[in-house]
Amino acid sequence: MSEVPSTDEAMSAAQGTSSLVIDIRGATKVFNPGKSNQVEALDEIDLSVVSGEFITLIGPSGCGKSTLLRLVASLIPPSTGTVQVNDKPAEQARLDRDYGMAFQTAGLFDWRTVTKNIELPLELMGWSKGDRRRRASEMLELVKLSEFAKHHPNELSGGMQQRVAIARALAFSPSLLLMDEPFGALDEMTREHMQDELLRIWEETETTVVFVTHSIPEAVYLSTRVVVMSPRPGTIASTINVDLGDRSTATRDDPAFFKKVTEVRIALREVEG
Amino acid sequence: MNALKGFSAPIVAGVVLFGLWQGVLSLFNPDGFVLPAPSEIVGALIENWDEVYQGARITGFVVVSGLIAGIILGILAALLVTRFRTANETITPLAVAVNAIPIIALAPIFNNWFGLTSPRSNQAIVVALVFFPIFINTARGLTQVDRSQVELMESYAASRSRITREVRIPNAMPFFFTALKLATSLAVIAAIVAEYFGGRQDALGPMITQSAGLTRYDEAWAAVLAGTAIGAVLYFAVLVLERVAMPWHSLIRAHGDDK
Repeated sequence: MSEVPSTDEAMSAAQGTSSLVIDIRGATKVFNPGKSNQVEALDEIDLSVVSGEFITLIGPSGCGKSTLLRLVASLIPPSTGTVQVNDKPAEQARLDRDYGMAFQTAGLFDWRTVTKNIELPLELMGWSKGDRRRRASEMLELVKLSEFAKHHPNELSGGMQQRVAIARALAFSPSLLLMDEPFGALDEMTREHMQDELLRIWEETETTVVFVTHSIPEAVYLSTRVVVMSPRPGTIASTINVDLGDRSTATRDDPAFFKKVTEVRIALREVEG
Repeated sequence: MNALKGFSAPIVAGVVLFGLWQGVLSLFNPDGFVLPAPSEIVGALIENWDEVYQGARITGFVVVSGLIAGIILGILAALLVTRFRTANETITPLAVAVNAIPIIALAPIFNNWFGLTSPRSNQAIVVALVFFPIFINTARGLTQVDRSQVELMESYAASRSRITREVRIPNAMPFFFTALKLATSLAVIAAIVAEYFGGRQDALGPMITQSAGLTRYDEAWAAVLAGTAIGAVLYFAVLVLERVAMPWHSLIRAHGDDK
């Protein structure tokens, strides 16, 4: 296990500050401040993510990992502290559409076909119809769903819907992908398949990924760095670097994989006290 | 053929029901006072076709115009309360309070407002009755949206009106059509009952009260049949409209049937 500050500093020093994709300093989040239902969700979060990293946020439920992701997405503002994305305030990054997002529920629009769902962000960005069509079909190829282009989401299985959601998140080639337990509702086999798909896409598109999960094997298998969070108010308890190289089904049986899983499990056990 | 499949069972049931009705009455024949046989009703309908047709046109106009005005007002109110918090805090409780009034009981009072023989009072009753289910259901559909869909739109920096257009309105469609199906039958009931108390005297409502008063029950039933036809035509129109407006929704049903 590494100390938080030294890892972050070492990374940003090595890569240079220009490749800092996310820079969170002293961010706290209090919901309903001053009221009886006040909740301290996050406390003094410092986190830096450099370009090309695959970061997972893991922690007990209610530790604020989804809240932290929403701070980065600027869907909610921090109570104190700053959140910078691509060297600008998170709010500006959202307005500039710097990131793509995927949620636990696929969040597809039943009233749009699969193609039209993927085209949605492109429509909002004013792409021409021809460009949208071309891009959507490329994305469908990427998630291997080309033959379902004209289907409606409710005709697809849960795993297929989630792949469409990922295609939609990637459609406008954002440099940053924010994912909130996207595979949480899937069965184990589909989930492992989706993880491999995501890694393949991550390598092909060279995006930076922030991934929220509560599955330890998932976190270890996917990430270059696992961020372990403590229960409410959420803080970053430790970060664990992972380097499993090229991953395949064999990786899941690899002793190196189990060693990291154990390491994360111990870290989680510590924070839960 | 598939579309007809769903109709065959109710058609058979209807034929059996009318057959029984006709059969029982021809066996016991209680003087036609209690219930005229279907053949007598059809006979009265043919005999009085011009009158009944004219009545159906007038009542049909009251129903359709009241329905359209009620729908427009209901949708506007729903959009207003989901957009503005103050609107929600004022209009919603007011609408609920107004809905507690047995609106049909206001028919004689409305006649005073609009004139005893004016169809305006009948239309007003229809509008008031149609408004509430449309308003409440549409408002619910506009607000009960998938949170991640709204967050997704916000992550794209979509404007509020864009979110309404892309997420809230499509989401409200099934709610709206459920209310509309309810509203069509309500509108026919409201129009005819309101006509009992006033409005144009050649409409279906007065035809029913006058025929019944003169013990011409077969004619009263012929007018009821015309009212039923109005309701059935409107209901069918709503079903067609629903299919056209929400092609994705029939997919859900077709899919659900498979499982």
